[in-house]
Amino acid sequence: MIEIKSISFSRPTQRIFDNFSATISPNCATLLTGANGCGKSTLLNLIGGVLTPDSGSITINGIAVSTLTAREQSKVRSIAPQRRIFDLAFTVNQLLSIIHVARRAIHHSEVFDALEIAEIAELKVTELSLGQQQRASLALALIQEASFYLLDEPFSAQDSLHQERALELILALAKERGILVVAHNSDSFAARFGRVFPIRTVVR
Amino acid sequence: MKKLAVSIFFTVAMTALFIVSLQTGILHLSHSFFSLIGKHDSVDATTVWEVRFPRVVGALIIGAGLGVAGGLAQAIFRNPLAEPTLIGLTSGATLGSVAVITTGVAAYGSVLNALVGVSFAFIAAFFVQLLTPNKGNGFLLTGLAISAVLTACAGLLISISPKPGVQSLAFWNFGSLTLLNNSTVVMITPFIVAGITIALLVTPKLDGYSLGDTTSHFIGISTNKVRFISIIAMALLVGASVSAVGAIAFLGLLVPHIVRLLIGPAHRALLPMCALVGASMLALADLLARTVAAPREIPLGLLTSLIGAPALIILLRAQRSQWVDHD
Repeated sequence: MIEIKSISFSRPTQRIFDNFSATISPNCATLLTGANGCGKSTLLNLIGGVLTPDSGSITINGIAVSTLTAREQSKVRSIAPQRRIFDLAFTVNQLLSIIHVARRAIHHSEVFDALEIAEIAELKVTELSLGQQQRASLALALIQEASFYLLDEPFSAQDSLHQERALELILALAKERGILVVAHNSDSFAARFGRVFPIRTVVR
Repeated sequence: MKKLAVSIFFTVAMTALFIVSLQTGILHLSHSFFSLIGKHDSVDATTVWEVRFPRVVGALIIGAGLGVAGGLAQAIFRNPLAEPTLIGLTSGATLGSVAVITTGVAAYGSVLNALVGVSFAFIAAFFVQLLTPNKGNGFLLTGLAISAVLTACAGLLISISPKPGVQSLAFWNFGSLTLLNNSTVVMITPFIVAGITIALLVTPKLDGYSLGDTTSHFIGISTNKVRFISIIAMALLVGASVSAVGAIAFLGLLVPHIVRLLIGPAHRALLPMCALVGASMLALADLLARTVAAPREIPLGLLTSLIGAPALIILLRAQRSQWVDHD
């Protein structure tokens, strides 16, 4: 379980969370919805340990995120940010080999199949379409072995066919793992998630 | 396969350069140097083993070190323009070396000289990091400014120093392998070997690191640790080389670009290949420096700038698909 206990967080000019609490359950697909700029990505960065809340606490399986090293955190949760920076022209295969074969989650071949990685494996990440880049980026997050997967807008750039396949993959994986999907355009699939957090829970 | 072909090519090139460098020079050997192996009793033998041998071995070792330092600098600053010279390492090492020699604390070519070069390089790079505004690309400008100050301080020390052992400003700024002898090569080798070893230890993390601080953290890489270890490795490589042969321009900048063009950007292959290519290039440059205008010698740094800078421009244009601008 990921427990977010009454956290507050402010940017220099803006208060983003005020006494916000939430839980992300294991073995369940949770959907976090809300308009742009409401703090969804900030929340992932807080859970991911890149940002630290001004007050309150975030624990994963009972251990405070702030007490874990980057490596320890990466073993309990995996995060797909909304946008990745691809500076170097790796092939998709090279990109995915960042997660060493020996350290990949058991479900990695399911991920590659559903996201049709084989057909883009030898292409350079810098020359992919936005949708292909997003699939490569999602695959990178999903093959990391972890108990929780936090995915920021994982299919915003997908056509409906690819979105459906990615969604089915995520819902299937969520039977044995905790998965949080952040999406602002979610009317068409919100009902299929086990839990939905609407925007109102996030205080501006 | 491509990697194998490229490494075989450069290994062969390195060996060929090694043999040609031993064979070629102002003094014409009466026999092939092979007949001199194990002999120390003639002018030919002394020329080969006491003059040419340390010089070409030094070129290979220092070239390998500077190639790796360049690859590492571009990786940890995520910038194709990063180079040890631009981030304060080289000028720090220069000031350190000049300072200990002019004050008489250590002699040129001593272990202490190299140690001080390494420490000053590290401190200078650390200050560039510290003074750079919010992590951005400002570090290149900060590095440039700090380098200018440090180089000027070194110049001042040289100008006012009565010590003859300090060498000229040209030696430190343009670099030269003329002073390399067997004992200096033996002295710097452990530094370079340590630097390359440390660089290879962080190499497996560099592909993930290239995706930015946030993604690196998400996949379990402690970016501050990677940066810190890399700066230590670069300080060892650059500090030791500068203390022995001065600043050699463009090698660290150019080599990683050539390697990326040949075998792609994945760092596990890139950094070892930077060592091979750097070694070959410096051995070639030094061979040219001492033969093109023989019996006079062209300052090595002039030659590397003259060839390196235009080559870099051509490579940058050819390589647009390797680095992406986000503007």
